[in-house]
Amino acid sequence: MSKIHIIPSEFIKELELQLAYSIKAGFPSPAEDYQHETLDFNRDLIKHPEATFYGRVDGDSMIDAGINDGDIAIIDRSAEASDGDVIVAFVNNEFTIKFLDLTHKSEGYIELRPANKKYHPIRINDSDDFEVWGVVVWTIRNWKK
Amino acid sequence: MYGIIDCDNCYVSCERVFRPDLNGKPVVVLSNNDGCIVARSNEAKKLGIKAGLPYFKLQEQFPDQKIAVFSSNYELYGELTGRVVEIIRQEAPQYFRYSIDECFVYLDGMERIDLKQWGENLHKRIKKSVGVPVSIGLAPNKTLAKMASHFAKKHSGYRHCCLIDTDEKRIKALKLYPVDEVWGIGRRYAAKLESLGIHTAYEFASMSKEALNATFNNVVIYRTWAELNGEDCVPNEAMAKKKSICTSRSFNGMISDLETIKIHVANYAARCAEKLRQQNTVASIVGVFLNTNYFRDDLPQYWQFKEVSLPTASNSTTTIVKSAHGVLNEIFKEGYQYKKAGVIVMGIAPTSPIQLNLFDINAERFEKLKSLDKVIDRINKVNGTETVILAAQQYRQKNEQGKADVFANAIKHDFRSKNPTTRWSDIIRLK
Repeated sequence: MSKIHIIPSEFIKELELQLAYSIKAGFPSPAEDYQHETLDFNRDLIKHPEATFYGRVDGDSMIDAGINDGDIAIIDRSAEASDGDVIVAFVNNEFTIKFLDLTHKSEGYIELRPANKKYHPIRINDSDDFEVWGVVVWTIRNWKK
Repeated sequence: MYGIIDCDNCYVSCERVFRPDLNGKPVVVLSNNDGCIVARSNEAKKLGIKAGLPYFKLQEQFPDQKIAVFSSNYELYGELTGRVVEIIRQEAPQYFRYSIDECFVYLDGMERIDLKQWGENLHKRIKKSVGVPVSIGLAPNKTLAKMASHFAKKHSGYRHCCLIDTDEKRIKALKLYPVDEVWGIGRRYAAKLESLGIHTAYEFASMSKEALNATFNNVVIYRTWAELNGEDCVPNEAMAKKKSICTSRSFNGMISDLETIKIHVANYAARCAEKLRQQNTVASIVGVFLNTNYFRDDLPQYWQFKEVSLPTASNSTTTIVKSAHGVLNEIFKEGYQYKKAGVIVMGIAPTSPIQLNLFDINAERFEKLKSLDKVIDRINKVNGTETVILAAQQYRQKNEQGKADVFANAIKHDFRSKNPTTRWSDIIRLK
């Protein structure tokens, strides 16, 4: 009756995809020499499990970048945010997902750019108390309904 | 060299990770059942809010203040502090988790490294990766390290890391430090020292050995005194005792099947739960370790330890046993001969008085309880009334949309935050 919540700070389990080998009869598989560990998204896509968080995209502000409503974003807080990265920031009391635009940094402001003409970029001045919460490293969308 | 790494206002800092708008504002976290205040932000401390203040008095005493209030959410705190410990594991040669928000490290073989810089970098990495600020104290022994971490916390000039590595620094720190705040000096000893005119750690450390023995004749206080004078003598076990309970035993022979080990682990877990109830405490983390026989190097070796956070801190036998079994299932691997297992409960806090009162829950509620789940009935028969109440607490956790409302008045956590790191339904929304 007590459901258990395993602390997922070690992302070492589950999600394994079998390597598909094409083996020709009568010939030793040339792939055999290259057999390594099974591909594992948790291991290969999440480089810093202790700094990785997930978010769900809510709305269409990034739709032209291929980030849709309902997608899951994998957010790495330890990654350094660079110009052009998709980032998560906390602005006006909510988490927002946008492109980080540092073009005008030397002029004293930066912009969080949406990927949808309906929305305006969010301008952040040097004097504003602003912090990038994390960098989006992957997004995941479910296709099979 | 030892270090202690300690999350600043841990529970508040964990809440702020997903509520950055609360940075710089007064925040408090309530105990189990929303009884009293167990954690305060610096801003809340500045307002004069005392630790342990009952929640209803907070409203009375600070009616005009905007104070953010949270019910305790151990699931969240356990997960985030687990991340902190993982980073420490990567950065330090040896570590020992002392409590939910404190970790000791032993920095052997790092003499050539600039330890002050190491500590500052560790803080930066934890703050950036997890979002929780830590304070780090580094010193030749644990008592001084603990003192150093206080300085690191109090004065921003240390940039979150205070290193006591010379006699000059040690003496300066001792002179500034009140004796009643020294790690290992309880209230009783502090009162006695005060009556002798000893107020600072320096005055205490300057006592002669003879005077010390004549006054106390106690090994714990002797060790504290010796450590303040630079020796390294507080054993690791002394730390483990305080904030965690461990029950472990070697098996009679070796065991390879899961079902048998489960029985042993259930017994250890039940013993931990009993100890918690004896001292009127609840635990929020249950850990299990399992190992093969070290002395049989002819056999394959395996060692593993893992822990889970409970949604609500508990001392119920059922909850602790179930959680321990869950962890055991995670760490158990076929094909090894196991020699020893153990259960450790951590994150220990007092049972709130309101929770105790729930034991005399009314008959009407009991009727409703019975109809809810036959599992609860079974526990009721086997373990008696107490367990039913604590189990009910867990039951509510599980069924927040359903019948759980029956218990709405039984266990309160009106201000509990979401669990964005442990439940898909709770992950942050990105606009």
